[in-house]
Amino acid sequence: MQLPSLNVVLQVAMVGLLTGGVYALMAVGLTLIFGVMRVINIAHGAFLILSAYIAYWLFTLFGLEPVLSVVVSVPLLFVFGMFFQRFALSRIKNDLGLVVLLTFALALVLVGLMGTFWQTTGRSVSTWYVNEVLIIPVGATLKLRLPWVKIGGSVLAIVALGILWAHLKFSDMGRAIRATIQNPTAAQLVGVNIAQIQAFTFGIGLATVAAGGALFSVIWTFTPGSHDEWISKLLSIIVLGGMGSLPGALIAALIMGVAEGLAAVFMTSYISPIVFYLILFLTLILRPQGLLGSRLREG
Amino acid sequence: MSKILEIDRVTHSFGGIVAVQDCSLSLERGKITGLIGPNGSGKTTLFNLITGVHTAHSGQIRLMGRSVNNLRPSQICAQGICRTFQITRLFWEMSVLENMIVPIRHVGLRALFGASIYSDEADRAMRLLERVGLDHLRDQPARRLSFGQQKLLELAAVLMSGPDLVLLDEPASGVNPTMIRFIMNLIRNLNSEGVSFFIVEHNMHFVMELCDYVYVLDQGVEIANGTPEIIQSNPAVLEVYLGN
Amino acid sequence: MTLILRRWWPLPALILLLIFPLVFAEPYYHLLGFNVFLFATMATGWNIMGGYAGYRSLGHSAFYGLGAYAAAIAANQLGWNPLISSPILALGVAVFAMLLGWAMLRATGAAFVIASIAMLLIVRLLANNFENITGGAPGLSLPIPPWPPMLSRLPFYYYMLGVLIVAIIVSGFLRRSRFGLGLLAIRDDEGKAEMVGVNTTLYKILAFGISAYFVALGGGVWAYAQTHISPPFAFGITVGVQLILYTMLGGSGTVWGPTLGAFILVPLSDLILFQFGGSPIHLAVLGAVMMAIILFMPRGIIPSIRGWQEARAAPRATHTGALSMEDLQRMQGGKTEGGSPSEAAAAEHERP
Repeated sequence: MQLPSLNVVLQVAMVGLLTGGVYALMAVGLTLIFGVMRVINIAHGAFLILSAYIAYWLFTLFGLEPVLSVVVSVPLLFVFGMFFQRFALSRIKNDLGLVVLLTFALALVLVGLMGTFWQTTGRSVSTWYVNEVLIIPVGATLKLRLPWVKIGGSVLAIVALGILWAHLKFSDMGRAIRATIQNPTAAQLVGVNIAQIQAFTFGIGLATVAAGGALFSVIWTFTPGSHDEWISKLLSIIVLGGMGSLPGALIAALIMGVAEGLAAVFMTSYISPIVFYLILFLTLILRPQGLLGSRLREG
Repeated sequence: MSKILEIDRVTHSFGGIVAVQDCSLSLERGKITGLIGPNGSGKTTLFNLITGVHTAHSGQIRLMGRSVNNLRPSQICAQGICRTFQITRLFWEMSVLENMIVPIRHVGLRALFGASIYSDEADRAMRLLERVGLDHLRDQPARRLSFGQQKLLELAAVLMSGPDLVLLDEPASGVNPTMIRFIMNLIRNLNSEGVSFFIVEHNMHFVMELCDYVYVLDQGVEIANGTPEIIQSNPAVLEVYLGN
Repeated sequence: MTLILRRWWPLPALILLLIFPLVFAEPYYHLLGFNVFLFATMATGWNIMGGYAGYRSLGHSAFYGLGAYAAAIAANQLGWNPLISSPILALGVAVFAMLLGWAMLRATGAAFVIASIAMLLIVRLLANNFENITGGAPGLSLPIPPWPPMLSRLPFYYYMLGVLIVAIIVSGFLRRSRFGLGLLAIRDDEGKAEMVGVNTTLYKILAFGISAYFVALGGGVWAYAQTHISPPFAFGITVGVQLILYTMLGGSGTVWGPTLGAFILVPLSDLILFQFGGSPIHLAVLGAVMMAIILFMPRGIIPSIRGWQEARAAPRATHTGALSMEDLQRMQGGKTEGGSPSEAAAAEHERP
């Protein structure tokens, strides 16, 4: 097998890094929800697709710039998240295996509804800038071709993550959330209303994936069935990074983005998803706490 | 072999915190040995090390001369060491009798397709249950028992596997004085039948009255050992309990 | 009379099931019955791991698909009739499952569930890509059954009924055995089970293998009935979900629960599929039913009924934290204060 040229490897790695930035935004909600409530939200992938559909339809019907669709999708998913936690999840929180099944069932409902109303043809938002690339010469002979959507997506993702980080660090609600992640009992003792925090966190978690979905809709093609592939990717990322760790999610997302890109070069793209699945599987059984997170077992 | 358990310079830490530091102690066979010390002194960690929940980072743990360092908990139980927990742990959805049966050692294909309870085992369980006054509750789910009854059940159940050494983690906590007396007598009786005990307790009266020998732990280090009389007047021990 | 009915009801039920296809003679009913028995068998198998031991694998479709492909390949390359080969090939899948389980079962609780999903995805991806063996994305075809076309699905009906009976008997024996007790202990408190001497790793691996066996067997027979298999269907996650759903509805951890759930939901979902013509809406309905069961009746039908009966029969269960007077008197034995009966007896002997 011929080794790919440096140009190709560098190209793929750079694009992978940018892609990883977008992955980070998509995954951060998942790890936040786990950190606060020990809940694994299998429906995260389905909500990603849902937000992408919202962006798609707003663009197709009204010409709305996909990034702006967050005005609709973020509040919508936030409110739904709060309600779902308050009225459904809170009833079964003691049994975590059951929680996984419940969120899985929710994903099925979403996917079924989306497939029924919006069919299963592949969709993607095709704005004018979708195929534009930025060409960066490196040295004398190399040239990097970076898709503008991924550059923009990555930048916007970092901005969104920054807003989230600032919120967690400086606001009262954010402090309460961080306290709950560290020690729920102690947090309760100092007056944190755990039920409220949990509802809020689930809402925020879905809100972030709504933002991610807006970016996602421009970069990738999707069908309702895509949720399967994406929840696996997102789970791999947060498990690798350590469930409950936000910095871990960012690092793992970047690693995965690069690894995925490199894998596609060395194997055909049909089998490259196996990289994600294998990393997920092996991490779960060999080092469940991932790179930076708390132990999943004690959940 | 008069020493049933030897802990030989065992050290264990969690992350950066040393829980047990170079700890050495030995238990005489057929005796009741106590382990006391302030909270956080490493007593429960020591229990976890003995029963195989953790593997000691350094040092040796020997049961009747045989090293048990790398055995998993179920193997250590099979070797003859069993324990109860500070916060009572039972199989809550199972009946009292079933809780007694699970610990019985069993081998081979008979376990797959035979019955779950054989009559000789049931008899043995019932006799033990009678001893602790729980025989009338044999078919009740464990979660229905009162706190005191649960503690007794936990103790009775670990005896079913026929251990040589029983580790008790705060057997007298949260229990009224009559029950404490009952438990003390039960332990004495079992001891006279050949079972050795290693007991962690905060109730000083319990320890001093019951134990033949006592070890004192503070911040993971053994600071004193001796008969209860010696320990009671040991200045180092008094300092640890009365000092900050 | 009711007592006899309670004990021996399977017998008349069995007779009804045996006559059913002769009364309802269309292939549609035979196929429906076959599907009911198929899912009841596989759910019963899943329950041994998910219900008794409490390890709910969402990826059991992997074994279903492996059983299907094994039967298909054996039928095409070696000419083995899947009805005969499936029970044998399923053993191979079970062994594979046990080896896999040895690695997977290091993860517990929710981690195990996710790992099982990852396993399924990996297997599906491999099946899609190893085209020379599995026929890739288009899949494989199987030979048509050798019996006269008039019989159509009838042999499948009786065959699967027989397999179901075996599965229920095995599940029943296991449930009432020491092994079953150990699995229930693992579900109740795995750490405690390990501490009292149950070799939890061995038990879990064994349960995993046995549960995989029945699912793989089902897959092989299903492949034969379908005559064509492909990765999306053989390794679709829906099959695994259905097993969990039926088991949870009937009552996970009981012997008859999975069968009850299948008998109720398979015809029902068939009806829904018929109504909506196979559009994705059936996924939504499946999910909605699952959510309803999880939220409102998580223990399932049989345990819920037993719970109501228990509550009616023993309303005065002691729930206080204190010892009752009876307990104290019992423990004090005779007149000796604070002594057990045996201690009192010993004290008597010591008197000069």
